[in-house]
Amino acid sequence: MFAATAVFLLLFPAIFTLPFPQHIMIMIFLYATLAQSWNLIGGYAGQVSLGHAVYFGAGAYTSSLLLMKWGLSPWLGMLAGAGLAAGLSLIIGYPCFRLAGHYFAIATIAIGEIAQISMVNWKGGGGAVGLYLPILDESFTNFEFHSTKVPYYYIALGITAIVFLVTYLIEKSWLGFYFRAIKGDLDASRALGINVPKYKSIALAISAFFTAVAGTFYAQYILFIDPESVLPLMLSILICLVAILGGVASVWGPFLGSVVLVSLSEYTRTYLGGGGKAIDLMIYGGLIVLIARFQPEGLMGMLKKFR
Amino acid sequence: MKTGKILLVVFLAMGLWAILGTPANSQPQEVVIGGIWPLTGPNAPTGVECVQGAKLAMEIVNGKFDLNLPLAKTEGLPNLKGAKLKMLFGDHQNIPDKAMGEAERLITQEKVVSLMGCYISGVTAPASQAAERRKIPFLDADAIAPTLIKRGFKYFFRVTQDDEIWFRDFMWNRFIPDVEKKKGGKIRNIAVLHENTLWGVDAARFGMEHAKKQGLNVLTEIAYPARSTSLTSEVQKLKMVERDTHMLLQASYTADGILFMKTFHEMDYNPPMIWNDGGYREPAFLEALGKKSDYILQRDEFSVDMGERKVLVKQVNDLYKQRFGVDLNTNSARNFMGVIALADAINRAGSTNPEAIRQALLATKLPPEQCICSWEGIEFDPNTGQNIKAVSLMLQVHDGKWRLVWPYEVAVKDLVYPLPKWSERK
Amino acid sequence: MILPPVLQKRTSMFTSEIILQTLISGLLMGCLYALVAVGLCLIWGLMEIVNFAHGQFMMLSMFLAFWMYTLFGLDPLLSLPLGAVLLFLLGIATYFFIIKGILYTTFLAQIFATFGLGIFLHSMAQFLWTANYRSIQNPLLAGRIAAGQIFVGFPQLAAAIMSVIGFVFLYWFINKTEIGLALQAASEDRQAASLMGINSNRIFAIGWGIGSACVGVAGVLLANFFYIFPEVGFTFGLIAYVAVALGGFGSIPGSFIAGVVIGLVEAFGGLLIDPAFKYLSVYVLYLAVVFIRPQGLWGRY
Repeated sequence: MFAATAVFLLLFPAIFTLPFPQHIMIMIFLYATLAQSWNLIGGYAGQVSLGHAVYFGAGAYTSSLLLMKWGLSPWLGMLAGAGLAAGLSLIIGYPCFRLAGHYFAIATIAIGEIAQISMVNWKGGGGAVGLYLPILDESFTNFEFHSTKVPYYYIALGITAIVFLVTYLIEKSWLGFYFRAIKGDLDASRALGINVPKYKSIALAISAFFTAVAGTFYAQYILFIDPESVLPLMLSILICLVAILGGVASVWGPFLGSVVLVSLSEYTRTYLGGGGKAIDLMIYGGLIVLIARFQPEGLMGMLKKFR
Repeated sequence: MKTGKILLVVFLAMGLWAILGTPANSQPQEVVIGGIWPLTGPNAPTGVECVQGAKLAMEIVNGKFDLNLPLAKTEGLPNLKGAKLKMLFGDHQNIPDKAMGEAERLITQEKVVSLMGCYISGVTAPASQAAERRKIPFLDADAIAPTLIKRGFKYFFRVTQDDEIWFRDFMWNRFIPDVEKKKGGKIRNIAVLHENTLWGVDAARFGMEHAKKQGLNVLTEIAYPARSTSLTSEVQKLKMVERDTHMLLQASYTADGILFMKTFHEMDYNPPMIWNDGGYREPAFLEALGKKSDYILQRDEFSVDMGERKVLVKQVNDLYKQRFGVDLNTNSARNFMGVIALADAINRAGSTNPEAIRQALLATKLPPEQCICSWEGIEFDPNTGQNIKAVSLMLQVHDGKWRLVWPYEVAVKDLVYPLPKWSERK
Repeated sequence: MILPPVLQKRTSMFTSEIILQTLISGLLMGCLYALVAVGLCLIWGLMEIVNFAHGQFMMLSMFLAFWMYTLFGLDPLLSLPLGAVLLFLLGIATYFFIIKGILYTTFLAQIFATFGLGIFLHSMAQFLWTANYRSIQNPLLAGRIAAGQIFVGFPQLAAAIMSVIGFVFLYWFINKTEIGLALQAASEDRQAASLMGINSNRIFAIGWGIGSACVGVAGVLLANFFYIFPEVGFTFGLIAYVAVALGGFGSIPGSFIAGVVIGLVEAFGGLLIDPAFKYLSVYVLYLAVVFIRPQGLWGRY
């Protein structure tokens, strides 16, 4: 099953040569990566962050600003952004991890909003106008391609694969065990001698790192970023939604969730959305309620039922 | 769970279906173009207006109408054997990557030969970028951010007036002196109020930059988050400089505009002039405010009042009203003209080859008699793609309607300046 | 007070009138935020579930006021009881159809059940009524009151007064009536409460009903002076959420005070710092409080 999927994904651009399907797959990979990154801290470690967009934005803005101001290669910018995001997460995590449940969630929202408002007003970083990335010759080093989407496709696939691999390894390791312990029973974990803040921070840092990587990819793909597109609360919520729909604390869940959500969004918008009616969003909302109500373990939960 | 499995398969099938999309629309008797606008979300009402303007234009091109417009008197595009024009619409939902996706879908799957859109500048950028990458002409009839024409694109064309050009060439050295001349007094000090998004920030920036060049004083600049729940602190700050203010330069959309006018009334803020850079076009604005909106000035590129001197405007407006129940406004009118200009270019090109269309667009020379907007015609600058004949009008609210007050030669109502204070109004 | 020169120059422009005006505006708006927050807190206090569709409930009641006015000429004042009753029923319905099933499920699922509902309601509103901005033109509560240089919008004043009345009524209800006490009992210990003969399902449903009725009242009051459109619930809902957390989950008076505080911080933040940062001030305040006191100002845990 896994092998078949892998082969299919690898050959996809050869089968579907039109750019639009490739674009959809790239979006699927993007959201899968974001959801999987979130999964580490939200799904496995049980800390519900509703402000993950701040790391996405950190990645996108860091690499873009470094590129535009100092001509730094986006690949190095990607690492810089990811590193910055991880560092940021440590600073954020330190005071926030003392908070419980809803307080933590709202604190993450507050931080996300503060980030967005700040970027809107920071003219040096583009402000509300945003950043138009320079259109350079297409090349791997420049991380820009114009005549075809295929390189973007494989880069996105690669990033997604790496994140999934990391998640898989973590799940099977001591780290994963600690995360689940923290999620399951905080007091028992402490009693067992687990340094809870330390492992929460590790989970968040890894999560932030990969979220930022996705941010740089997005910037290089769309070639335009602004606070509205990389830092909004809606994006943070969407990331969680994908993870929940697919099934938290599972390796494949985020991918499944992404496939469904992205397809649903595209499908309903193309066939039902036009005309000012928000039918697609109604279906979206209704679906989420149903999943939350009847199948909280998401699609993976449904699949497990007939393994 | 059997249902679960079935559901999953259904989802995946839907996914594949969405990915593969519908087969390309290519009946030989049709020329297909695309239009991407916000059809859901907060700007949906405007998106719908844009679509409606485009639809009327298509109808006129495809049918036989006795109007002084290119292609009106013939059915379809004569140089393409009477092929009909067809427009496919995409919804970008105010999201850049969706705009890009829609552009790509329309271009590569639906094989449109040109694109139009997107009203929101931040979304028009990626959409037109996708078009540029694929060498498909993109005609912008409503997004006014100056950056759009500074990207060095070869396939980007804009019929509507650029904000920067307006402030640089018209606002401070033609409109304001005209007001001073006719009404007396000096307009020297301005207060600037703008929402903190791409449009608001740019409008304020160019407004202030060129105002200063003409020797005016900016008393204060207030940026606010769009769609706030309460605007009292903003109005407070305006009141702090109220005594010296000769004019309020504002860049707000309808929702905030409604709240602002109410708050102005509530807190008794009385600047002699309230001027908006064109965000109040929706009927909802006037409906919501009634008398409170009196005498607000707005820059626009269309007014129904133009019909008093230009029969074409009245004729087209009547048709539009028949179809959609409301008058044309700047959004529908500009996109109407955009489609006409595009169709005209395609016809002159005599082919659906995008490169030929692009060349034809560059050669466009539409005379003002054939425009329903306030322009002196349509002619694109070969370097930037900007319509160099675009000019704006000034509208002012009189008796709950937007009336044409400037330029004086075409005005139907007398410009009111200074604004009567709230306490003096009934 | 010795201030650094930068602040000195700015504050010299602030006359006492401006300060007073800001204070009043902030208070009035804050009372409205507070009413919305209190409803949210009540629901949370009962079963530790946050109603993320709270803002959309308010949006629905605003539309209700609008349609009653437009179709039947009913002034919002008269729609007030209607809004309360209909939203009460909506709350109960929401409980029985959705909430009951997620009482014992994961934290995440609980969040997203109501969140999905919120998205659904928002889209449904847009589907039914389009995204156009509506406004109630001539409500009974209109105009402004002037006291020298201080202006107070009459609808805002009325809304604030009614919010306070609503809160006082709620407080009395929770603490002095049988049903109210039952609500408290059920929230403290569900099992013990049922042993005492309190049907937890009914009580929870009532709790949802009352919480929603609060927001129904707030919505109708808001419709007097704010524009009405599908997305309006989002901003207010978010502020309510922050208010409840700031005041501390479980404390109804805490939520009310926090709501008022947020109104003040928003107003003064806009004045003293910059309107562009007024919401930033609110979020910074929240973080500041919660980092020092992780359970909010008066929270239960």
